[in-house]
Amino acid sequence: MKKIMFLLLLLTFSGQAQMKSDDVKTFTLKNGMKFLVVEDFSIPNANMYLFYKVGSRNEYQGITGLSHFFEHMMFNGAEKYGPKLFDQTMEFNGGANNAYTTKDVTVYTNWFPASAMEVIFDLEGDRISSLSIDPKIVESERGVVLSERSTGLENSPWRQLSEAVEATAFIEHPYHWSVIGYEDDMKNWKQQDLERYFKMYYAPNNCVVVVSGAIKMAEVKRLAEKYLEPIPAQPEPPKITISEPPQTGERRITVQKEVATPYLMLAYHTPETKNEDYYALNILSAVLSRGQSSRLYSELVNKKQLATVVFTDFGESFNPSLFSIYAVANKEVNPVDLENAIYVEIEKIKNEGISEVELQKIKNQKLMEFYNQVETINGKSNNIGTYEVFFGDYKKMFQAPANYNKITVADVQNVAKKYFTKSNRTVGVLKTNTED
Amino acid sequence: MKPIALKLIIIGLFFLTFSNVTAQGYKLPEYSSFKLPNGLTVYLMEQHDVPVISVSAVLPAGAIYDNEKAGLAFLTAKALKHGTKNFSKLKLDEEIDFIGASISTDASKEFASLSSKFAAKDKDKVLTIIKEIMLDPFFDAEEFEKEKSRLLVGLEQQKESPRAVIGNYFDKLLYGNHVYGNTIQGDISSIGKITVEDIKSFYKTNYKPNQTAISIVGDFSTKEMKTKLTALFSNWKKSKNKIENPALKNIAYPSGNKVLLINKEDAKETTFYIGSAGISRNNPDFVALEVINTLFGGRFTSMLNDELRVNTGLTYGAGSKFNTLKNGGSFVISTFTASKTTEPAIDKSLEVLNKLHTNGIDEKSLTSAKNYVKGQFPPRYETTNQLANLLTQMFWYNFDATFIENFEKNVDSLNIEKANQIIAQYPNISQKTIFNLYWWEKLPTSKILLKNMVL
Repeated sequence: MKKIMFLLLLLTFSGQAQMKSDDVKTFTLKNGMKFLVVEDFSIPNANMYLFYKVGSRNEYQGITGLSHFFEHMMFNGAEKYGPKLFDQTMEFNGGANNAYTTKDVTVYTNWFPASAMEVIFDLEGDRISSLSIDPKIVESERGVVLSERSTGLENSPWRQLSEAVEATAFIEHPYHWSVIGYEDDMKNWKQQDLERYFKMYYAPNNCVVVVSGAIKMAEVKRLAEKYLEPIPAQPEPPKITISEPPQTGERRITVQKEVATPYLMLAYHTPETKNEDYYALNILSAVLSRGQSSRLYSELVNKKQLATVVFTDFGESFNPSLFSIYAVANKEVNPVDLENAIYVEIEKIKNEGISEVELQKIKNQKLMEFYNQVETINGKSNNIGTYEVFFGDYKKMFQAPANYNKITVADVQNVAKKYFTKSNRTVGVLKTNTED
Repeated sequence: MKPIALKLIIIGLFFLTFSNVTAQGYKLPEYSSFKLPNGLTVYLMEQHDVPVISVSAVLPAGAIYDNEKAGLAFLTAKALKHGTKNFSKLKLDEEIDFIGASISTDASKEFASLSSKFAAKDKDKVLTIIKEIMLDPFFDAEEFEKEKSRLLVGLEQQKESPRAVIGNYFDKLLYGNHVYGNTIQGDISSIGKITVEDIKSFYKTNYKPNQTAISIVGDFSTKEMKTKLTALFSNWKKSKNKIENPALKNIAYPSGNKVLLINKEDAKETTFYIGSAGISRNNPDFVALEVINTLFGGRFTSMLNDELRVNTGLTYGAGSKFNTLKNGGSFVISTFTASKTTEPAIDKSLEVLNKLHTNGIDEKSLTSAKNYVKGQFPPRYETTNQLANLLTQMFWYNFDATFIENFEKNVDSLNIEKANQIIAQYPNISQKTIFNLYWWEKLPTSKILLKNMVL
């Protein structure tokens, strides 16, 4: 990301607040760029979120990290607004921006006083139509992303561990490498790689735009037609043809770093967001780790005191990805004992299922989560865009309550049985002494 | 998680900046306040957009009240949730989680706080629990020992991340023996000695209604809420003596340069703070300095980030901020860079600071910073949580709606002469009293330090 290394797109919620599906207006420009618009006058501000369907899964070895690097280059000058002028112009007009890259998407975010909307359209139109890729700036920006990589590894053992586990769980699929990329690739991206990337992926037909705030739909449409419609569509980017072969046996990996106590990560292959098991897996994730009454927290942290921290992650993805469980060992705890204690909890769910009360708890939590998301114009744009891109339709956001409510205790038990198998998992341990 | 938000330091600006009635057309929603006979101050603000309610409370029970037991305030705040008269810890966790509510208790440097958010329909249940947590905590000994041992491991783990601990070291260096130098979570030796009896006694002294405020913002009726809160909190006994704020003592900021180096064997980069005394929250130049800091180190195009990131690629981000407290504060420049570029990064940081003092700022930059501060203002007060926090901050830092009403006017009234005057007027933001704090792989030759320290 440009300024914030974001990777966790945790977007799970349901329920219904005042906001309805009809509140989202849509149109598609002649070049294929789709717009989703929410008029909301609660504060005199607005935002624009641009979701490009390109991420590190579109890379290959030799150019790893390029999607993220390109995200940086999008701020470094175009035809009308030269180097530095994108940010200078936006901030002069009271706006702020950021961007982030994941394995699947690159997202640009602009937050501004509603009165500055035309400037924002002009800035976006300029960089999408005529980005200039100055070799000198490429060099200095390379230093920035190398610093970003290093500071991530420096400040969190999770970075190192999750990169190793993902690289072990995915052998063939491009989820194998991290969003930031390999250090040697980062030092070797070529000018033509960048130029090709821009043409192929930064096409209006590969982008979904969400605008929310104190703006009128008609005005958004007028500006979109003026600034963005003239940009020509490009051929559909190449499909990703590699799928990860089924894992047929447990994989283990150990990583060395100076740490107070060992870090543990367990990852199971699970399907992509559009798969029918998504909602049950999402509930399973919350049952395991959401709140102090969750199974893993109450057993491992509170009761048995084997861990000081435990959490799970099951996020959105275009291709089959991972359901991950993370834990940090308590003092004097052997990571193997912690690992086995996690399996005990998993086996309980596989054998006995979860209770009706637990299921209801998660549904209640999902409703609150939904309220939190629609409380801000940023939450609205981010969620609407995510549903549109990952679930294939923003309306799924409004159907989410019903989709979660359909899930039964048996469904949750079934996905646990289906995916939480020994041969489907990869186990990573990060510790100081790896000679043990 | 995949590598979660490496939250950058740059966007810090001020500690929290406060609302105004008309910034860019932003209107602070109406609110009311009243005081119970026991002295508890209550703020109520209705917000009906989403059916949720947020609660924020502040109490005179932050790290400045720790005395010799560093971390005591923090552990006490955490222990509030270890069970109450009517709820065991287990029951408490289950009740809160089941309805998707959140209740968290914490201690900051100055005050202890409780914050909560829940669905409006659950208000009776959650407010009762909040009342129990604040008034009738049980302080279960076994739970306390678990909390303490988790904290001890946590303190060791923090050292794995320079970013997580550098601020503590800096504050110790800057504030010396003043209580603002207290480390919120204490240290391994101090925490080891704290007992459950210590926290019971701390609670008895500091958790009192007469210097406490609670704000409630969200989907409710003010009249009904007033009745409810009066019933819940009226029996809370006020303290006989006023709880003195130990931070009101003078701060003896160091008069010369101080450098602290911390060696981390496996570090690949250097993380550093360069800073000095800043301002207190009630400083009349608070808003002006927010604007000035915005253009110096508080946004992406700021002088610091432009030079250290955009022009030279030395770092992923560089920024500065004022941390404002009731009776003082700090100003820090912070960034990080690869070990081998430590020297140029320090040089550049000081060079940019010098430039601010030597050249002042120009009209265009000032206008841009003013527009930015105003434009980014309304989203700070968009949610019930943000608004509830604003109200308790008003209470603690003793400012009111007039400050809020005047915010945009104050930003607008800052002209170039005044801005440059303010820059010159704050010599403590100049090189003369800079402290450096570095964190790198191998201690460097003294050459680098001397070069920057000759003043």
